[in-house]
Amino acid sequence: MTTLTIFIIGALLSISILYLVRKGKLHGPYATWWLMVAVFAIVLSSFPKIIDWVAVQVGITYPPTLLLVVSISFILIRMLTMDLALSRKEQKIRRLTQRIAMLEAGLEQAESDGVDSNKQN
Amino acid sequence: MKTLIVIPAFNEADNLAQLLPQLCAAVTADILVVDDFSSDDTVQVVKNQGLTCLRLPIQLGAWGATQTGIRYAKRHGYDFVLTMDADGQHLPEEINHLLDAAFRNQFDVIIGTCPQRVSRLKKMAWRLFKIISRIRIEDLTSGFRIYNQQAIQVLADKAASLLDYQDVGVLLLLLRSDLKIHEIPVKMSLRQDGKSRVFSSWLVVFKYMLQTTTLCIANIGAKKSQ
Repeated sequence: MTTLTIFIIGALLSISILYLVRKGKLHGPYATWWLMVAVFAIVLSSFPKIIDWVAVQVGITYPPTLLLVVSISFILIRMLTMDLALSRKEQKIRRLTQRIAMLEAGLEQAESDGVDSNKQN
Repeated sequence: MKTLIVIPAFNEADNLAQLLPQLCAAVTADILVVDDFSSDDTVQVVKNQGLTCLRLPIQLGAWGATQTGIRYAKRHGYDFVLTMDADGQHLPEEINHLLDAAFRNQFDVIIGTCPQRVSRLKKMAWRLFKIISRIRIEDLTSGFRIYNQQAIQVLADKAASLLDYQDVGVLLLLLRSDLKIHEIPVKMSLRQDGKSRVFSSWLVVFKYMLQTTTLCIANIGAKKSQ
């Protein structure tokens, strides 16, 4: 029953992702990530034996632990990369803000110079 | 020698109205005020004085505003940048004293220091930062500084844009770039309103301590010790 639930979640997730990409609301690399998550959910719910098999290979006696540990690790990694992306954005915003301030001052300077030279003519 | 005096200002109309005339009388250098999205008439006060004012369309904090001035100096080919606070803490008559030292070209950064001005608590924080980061500079937070062209290059760069305060992070960056820093004792007046704008509440202080400690730890071994 759980596998069916996860299958449905995976299917809904992939449909939503594709819909969001189509509407232009989700940006390239993020969409790929989320689609991968959806595909994993579908594959693992269709063939739950995969988890049992991998768990035996790495020596874990209770297979659900493997699933939980792996998913939490991926969530943490994803959160870290999100903060990296946010820092990059913050840096770009700050640089842009500074540049706007400089350009604006230059523009005002040019305008007032223009007014002055008009007066002289 | 082209020198630019950069003054970051956030809601400093009253203080600037006092400071700017004194400053114009005391020095010949160009003066630039960077308005950090003030809600009072800081911009108007600067304009009335006939000085250039850069207006940030988004609030960037003290360092973000200062860096704007440094980038402006780089764009316009200034040889030196002097940064000072708008609140009247840094005295115009001390500027020439600092500039003389800068013109001698022995050092890349000159810091006007006045350790007597800070509380014992803050001195303890400084000691902590100095132990972790192994910076050998007395006054970590003084914003009364002169940067030469090498220092301007370093500080105008993207790498300095994610810093939040003009203190330990900036110093670490300068030391990592192998620049020489020199301190000169100066007189400073106590703040007129008696309160620091950077440290408006204990929560802010806590956040600052945590961030700066992280920064210090992350930079262990990243620089040549001075």
